[in-house]
Amino acid sequence: MSQSEPQRQPNPLREGIATRNIPDACTVVIFGATGDLTHRKLIPALYNIAADGELPPELAVVGFARRPKSDDEFRAELQEAAGKYSRRGIRDELWRSFASSVFYHQGEFADADGYKRLGERLKQLDEMRRTGGNRLFYLAAAPDQFETILQHLKAAGLNKGNNGGWARVIVEKPFGTDLASARKLNRIVEKAFPEQDTYRIDHFLGKETAQNILVLRFANAIFEPLWDTRYLDHVQITAAETLGVEGRAGYYEGAGALRDMVQNHLLQLLCLVAMEPPTDLSADSIRDEKVKVVRSLRRLSREDVDVDVVRGQYSEGAIAGKPVPGYRREANVKPDSQTETFVAARLHIDNWRWADVPIYMRVGKRLPKSGTEISIHFKKAPPVLFNKESDALDHNVLVIRIQPDEGISLRMQAKVPGTSFRIEPVKMDFHYGTSFGKASPEAYERLLLDAMSGDATLFARRDEVEQAWAFVDAIEEAWKSDKEAPALFEYPAGSWGPDEADDLLARDGRSWRRL
Amino acid sequence: MNTAAKTFTAGMPVEVAKIEGELKKLWDQGGEVMTRASLINLAVYSEAPGSLLRNTQVISEITEDHACRAIVISAEPDAAEDRVEAWISAHCHVSRAGKKQICSEQLSFSLRGSFAKLLPNIVFSHLDSDLPLYLWWQGEFQDPMDPQLWSWVDRLVYDSRDWRDCDAQMRLVETAQNEAKQRIVLCDLNWTRLVQLRLAIAQFFDPPATHQCITDISRLEIDYAPGFRSTAVLLAAWFAAQLQWQLVDTRFAQLRFAKPSGEAVEAALTERDGEVISRCVLFSGRTELRVSHAPDADLLDVSAHSGSQQRMHQLMPAGSDEPVRLMSEELMRGGPHHVYLRALNLVRKFA
Repeated sequence: MSQSEPQRQPNPLREGIATRNIPDACTVVIFGATGDLTHRKLIPALYNIAADGELPPELAVVGFARRPKSDDEFRAELQEAAGKYSRRGIRDELWRSFASSVFYHQGEFADADGYKRLGERLKQLDEMRRTGGNRLFYLAAAPDQFETILQHLKAAGLNKGNNGGWARVIVEKPFGTDLASARKLNRIVEKAFPEQDTYRIDHFLGKETAQNILVLRFANAIFEPLWDTRYLDHVQITAAETLGVEGRAGYYEGAGALRDMVQNHLLQLLCLVAMEPPTDLSADSIRDEKVKVVRSLRRLSREDVDVDVVRGQYSEGAIAGKPVPGYRREANVKPDSQTETFVAARLHIDNWRWADVPIYMRVGKRLPKSGTEISIHFKKAPPVLFNKESDALDHNVLVIRIQPDEGISLRMQAKVPGTSFRIEPVKMDFHYGTSFGKASPEAYERLLLDAMSGDATLFARRDEVEQAWAFVDAIEEAWKSDKEAPALFEYPAGSWGPDEADDLLARDGRSWRRL
Repeated sequence: MNTAAKTFTAGMPVEVAKIEGELKKLWDQGGEVMTRASLINLAVYSEAPGSLLRNTQVISEITEDHACRAIVISAEPDAAEDRVEAWISAHCHVSRAGKKQICSEQLSFSLRGSFAKLLPNIVFSHLDSDLPLYLWWQGEFQDPMDPQLWSWVDRLVYDSRDWRDCDAQMRLVETAQNEAKQRIVLCDLNWTRLVQLRLAIAQFFDPPATHQCITDISRLEIDYAPGFRSTAVLLAAWFAAQLQWQLVDTRFAQLRFAKPSGEAVEAALTERDGEVISRCVLFSGRTELRVSHAPDADLLDVSAHSGSQQRMHQLMPAGSDEPVRLMSEELMRGGPHHVYLRALNLVRKFA
């Protein structure tokens, strides 16, 4: 909760019926209102929350963008997009009710006058919509516009709420492109908004299964006692995509898999798996524990990168039986591009719990199958009785599937029926979709509600982001070094990455889990 | 795989002693495209004629969102003949991913004559182990209630709407709770009926600007459909319990309360054709909050006025009075229902 914000009085009529965080009345201002994110995610998410009856009526949504357009034109555009992308489609009467809170403000990001006029409009809306002077600014524009927008917001005095209300900012990833730029961005943000009012969004954290990692670990007594170096052999985290760059080459060429996925999504998942139990469920308690994990990640030297990190780029191949071009032949990709579309790494967390438990991570595009999962591989049973060297058994493996087919499975050993003593692995499998019929809300619904209610638990804190960049930068620097930079290995589209990624585990007598 | 449940028969007749074996065969026939899922044991008990098929239909719809092992029991304790019959069936739905059929199994029993006393045994012997037991009791509780049964029940679901004597029924429930050493969570579908309405009212008082109005409420007007007076009373009791109003007078259609400050609050309950609660209006100083539910609409119309100025207008989900929707809502929300118990204790004083 913001320090500037008045403490919300407990509402006795809310007792026992709040299902999600209760959002405050506010105006949501979206910069980049005509962009893809607004159309595909933000407006459908806001509409769905409204349709669930969980948005306060004292709400206004203002789209800020360059092109001239009336409120009605903007609403019509959004209606079409929401109809297409909302998880439940739209109902006319509910849309009309929601759309009456949506407004358009034309302005250039770099034009001070546009912000001055925005300020006046917001004051009118505060009055008209009774928003309590609360403002939530969503930076859904290109990252290179963040600084301009934030500076102008501050200059126009919009970084403070009106009449004692609060002002918060949601910053979309990427949060910089390296540690230096992340620090610079954080300083810029900090000049306009204090840390407690800054919400760095990583939609992976809004996913139900990501949140369930904490529940699995800390609401079940059976796992936590086994969750350390005594019982764990290793951990694997995989984020595989069948897709290529799909029109994002402009961004991806400058980012690559390491910055696009590892620095944020994968390290966030790692934190949730590896963190110590927080003292409570408050945003800072959880984030304190997560940041300790990133701090404990062993920094990789130039030599370590050679040995423990593999980067690859897909070449021509096939996905689902259809030929696909190699990365360098994708539109807007340089023919001699050195951008990695695949990363595999062996990481170590230097703390008491994780000593000698390697974490293997891999992320890649144009892999044979899409899926994000974490697998916890337990040490084998002692080599006596059923686990003699001549007849070694598999590890027990606990798998947390983040997407798709969210769920949890546990592999264990069982005797095959019959007179012989044959033992085979069997799988206990929990699927969210099977057990819980209802579809989960979209990650953006949860995250928008949280930001509107002042709950930053599922948002990245400044130190988390900077520590993650510090870790990733060491790898980037090694790759960018002039002399004997580690190789960029090719892998055919539709394979599981370069052979060197398999070697990374084979050296330790292990192999990647089959997805 | 027997899919007879889709046409709402009770399924395949089986001998009671062979149910587990027949169930296994049922799943073996299903092959790999069908996945059995179960999160709870849901036992449904009814003495109403025709309840077996009616409840089979209800279970078929509930299992779309709530995988369970359903045990549907139709009892006729007063029947002249002593007889027990059993059926098994499965309710299958295509999963969200669209690849597999997710199936819940249903065991159905008809208990006639003295066999009606077999209820605890029937339930105990057919539970999916380690899963919680929800018992949905349709109709009024009868004295004496079998203490054996209650010690196994985790959540007892009932609908107090039709109870003729709320206090007497609650005494029976309390006895059951005592037998179960207070373990049972009481879930009243009459309370579930009010969830969306309570949400619509509660959210009005969230903003600091309107929070003060909560202590200034001086009058409530609640319009309820014929047969739903108990629902309206429960709604009024919720206000009283949460805002610490003391009951002063229950005569006529008005309930009179005293606020902690000593000021009076009147609640006018009016029977009117329409939805369960077709209108609820709160008066607080110059502010008036109105929640209306138009006939057959699935949205609530929420508006607030202060003097001549309209302060807000909003459409919110209205919920539904259909048993399937009520039960699904109840299963989805869970929770200990402390607020309900507070409201209910007041309702008992109204009687």
